[in-house]
Amino acid sequence: MKISWPHMGSLEFVMGSVFEEMGVDYVLPPPNSQRTLELGARHGPEFACFPLKTTLGNFIEAIEKGADTLIMVAGRGPCRFGYYAETQRRILEEAGYDFRMVPLEFEPAKIPATLRRLHDLKQGRSWLSLYRAIKFALNKAYLIDRLERQALHQRYLDREKGATTAALKRCYALVWDAGSYAALDGIEEEAFAIMHSVPRVEREEVKIGIVGEFYLVLEPFFNLNVEEQLGNLGAYVERNIYLTDWLRPSGERPVLGHREHASELLAMAYLTHKVGGEGIFSVGDTVLFHNQGFDGVVQLMPFTCMPETIAKSILPLVSRDLGIPVLSVVIDEMTGRAGVATRLEAFTDLARFRRRAHGREADLTLQPAF
Amino acid sequence: MKVGIPGGLLYYRYGRLWNSFLRALGAEVVESGQTTRSILTSGVSKAENESCLAVKVFYGHVLALQDKVDALFVPRLVSVKKRTHTCPKMLGLPDMARAATGDGSTIISPTIDFQSGLWHNYKAVYSLGRIFTSNPLRIIGAGIKAWREHRLYLERLTLGLDHKSALEGEAGSLLCEGRELRIGVIGHHYNVYDTFTTMSLLERLGGMGVDAVTADMVPEKLRDEELKRLPKDIYWSYEQEVAGAILACSRHRLVDGIIFMISFPCGPDSIIRVLCEQENKAIGNVPMLTLVMDEHTGEGGFLTRIEAFVDMLRRRKVRNEEPREAIAV
Ligand code: SF4
Ligand code: SF4
Repeated sequence: MKISWPHMGSLEFVMGSVFEEMGVDYVLPPPNSQRTLELGARHGPEFACFPLKTTLGNFIEAIEKGADTLIMVAGRGPCRFGYYAETQRRILEEAGYDFRMVPLEFEPAKIPATLRRLHDLKQGRSWLSLYRAIKFALNKAYLIDRLERQALHQRYLDREKGATTAALKRCYALVWDAGSYAALDGIEEEAFAIMHSVPRVEREEVKIGIVGEFYLVLEPFFNLNVEEQLGNLGAYVERNIYLTDWLRPSGERPVLGHREHASELLAMAYLTHKVGGEGIFSVGDTVLFHNQGFDGVVQLMPFTCMPETIAKSILPLVSRDLGIPVLSVVIDEMTGRAGVATRLEAFTDLARFRRRAHGREADLTLQPAF
Repeated sequence: MKVGIPGGLLYYRYGRLWNSFLRALGAEVVESGQTTRSILTSGVSKAENESCLAVKVFYGHVLALQDKVDALFVPRLVSVKKRTHTCPKMLGLPDMARAATGDGSTIISPTIDFQSGLWHNYKAVYSLGRIFTSNPLRIIGAGIKAWREHRLYLERLTLGLDHKSALEGEAGSLLCEGRELRIGVIGHHYNVYDTFTTMSLLERLGGMGVDAVTADMVPEKLRDEELKRLPKDIYWSYEQEVAGAILACSRHRLVDGIIFMISFPCGPDSIIRVLCEQENKAIGNVPMLTLVMDEHTGEGGFLTRIEAFVDMLRRRKVRNEEPREAIAV
């Protein structure tokens, strides 16, 4: 049995660590690439969500590399994500691939089935070792998330473009190699030292927040490296979603340090009900970013994404009321890199202008999204 | 108080219910009526480009009513059946309507959610009633009256009346009259009964001498049976109806062909479509035409596709009815 799973930001380190720790065979799908997207778009349904297509592409590439057991989280909506696993299974089977799809569902009624599936996946290893492996991997995930956050905060100060990104890559490798809690502690110090030692310059700061659909916020290849682009444009960046928010479904946001509920309350003035996905957080966190003194918010949205479409319809109202500029970036297989780069640049300028004009009324006409 | 009911989305299912309830409470009800070209155009220009056609049309209706009424009635239907949800866009609809009017209109939006039990819904309806009257009996009376009319309306749909004649309560002609060819026209209510966005598909089929079967006309029992067979249950209320109807039509050969009406780019339908196409192939292999409608769909191309599909079904039917020996030779 060769297990695989789709990419999503740093998820590979976390899942990989679990299986390494347990000594279970796994296959890492090749890194996200244009080919991943093409495969996914070719086999995927016409206007399905963008992440469904890209993860489908991951699955196909993983199967090509020898994987035969595919893990995917499933659920009950109201969004489409809960039905990904089933849809992808159908598509891949019809395309003639040989594999087994293992959907992991975490609603109470499905727990027994999920436990049975986990039992198969661990292939005779003890439950205790699985628990330990997951716990250890979560610790790594938490550290990675904090490192990523550090990178977001300091990238705009880089003396040489790309230095922070390179440092972050080194840190990933360090965390990946950590074999015990004690080692992890040492690595934490070392990694942060690496991050802090990146040569900096003095720069005027402009703060931009990123909100949006979970997958797209976390997956740098498919969000066209928005974080890095913004950082290179001179923005101090924060995003509202980290991987550990998802791995610890308790409503806690360990990295950002507030609870999801706080964000929901802030959204209430504009969106009075949960709409699945991250719809309500995109609205609530835009308010939150404004309250924290950010100068602009970028919303990342996969084309046809339902919750983000709702958020996108409502954000102009938020923007008008609070006076914070919001840029919605809609991404699908047709999105051009150059177009997004230009818009991000213009947007950063707008945010900077607003910061300078602070106190005075700046003209915040939104550009039409494409 | 003048209350406006936008004639889009779930209006095509609960319009009668809402209208009679509000009127029985003493509100003056204004409906935006049929979708028109100008409603569509204003909706398209106001709504997000990524929204589905149905939501864009709804925006148009909201804008058409906005200045004519004191409040807009946009209920939030979270769940109409245990363990299911409606589409996320319906969960956010009142807030989207508010954004569409630029926060300029009062929106009345009771939250109906069958996951939280009957009591919650009773309270929601009751407090809706309190906006208009302080007489509890009147509210309950209005509720019962409206519910009766709603049941009657739904029953008429199952008998094969289209939306309009079911509202008016008179059957000029039935969709299904026992003509030679029968086609299932399946999709969300608003994708099937809105005569403007569907370019009067139902009427046109009638004109071509074809019977139409809508999801409402497929017995609920058959639909539920199909849903139980699925490896993973569908958790969208209205999607259950659509998928159940398509699969039942396919398994029991209720129809000669199926037209699946989708509004671009509908989230749930994009997923259900994969399921329906695959399962249909496996169980009945009934010819299926998926029509994805958006604001650019031209009448010419649309008609050509329908005609070609009907012709194909006719030829197929004739061929299948030829005596077997003739084919064997
Ligand atoms: S949040 Fe958006 S992209 Fe994600 S499953 Fe839902 S509709 Fe698809
Ligand atoms: S079910 Fe589809 S057509 Fe209906 S509102 Fe949702 S996305 Fe739009």
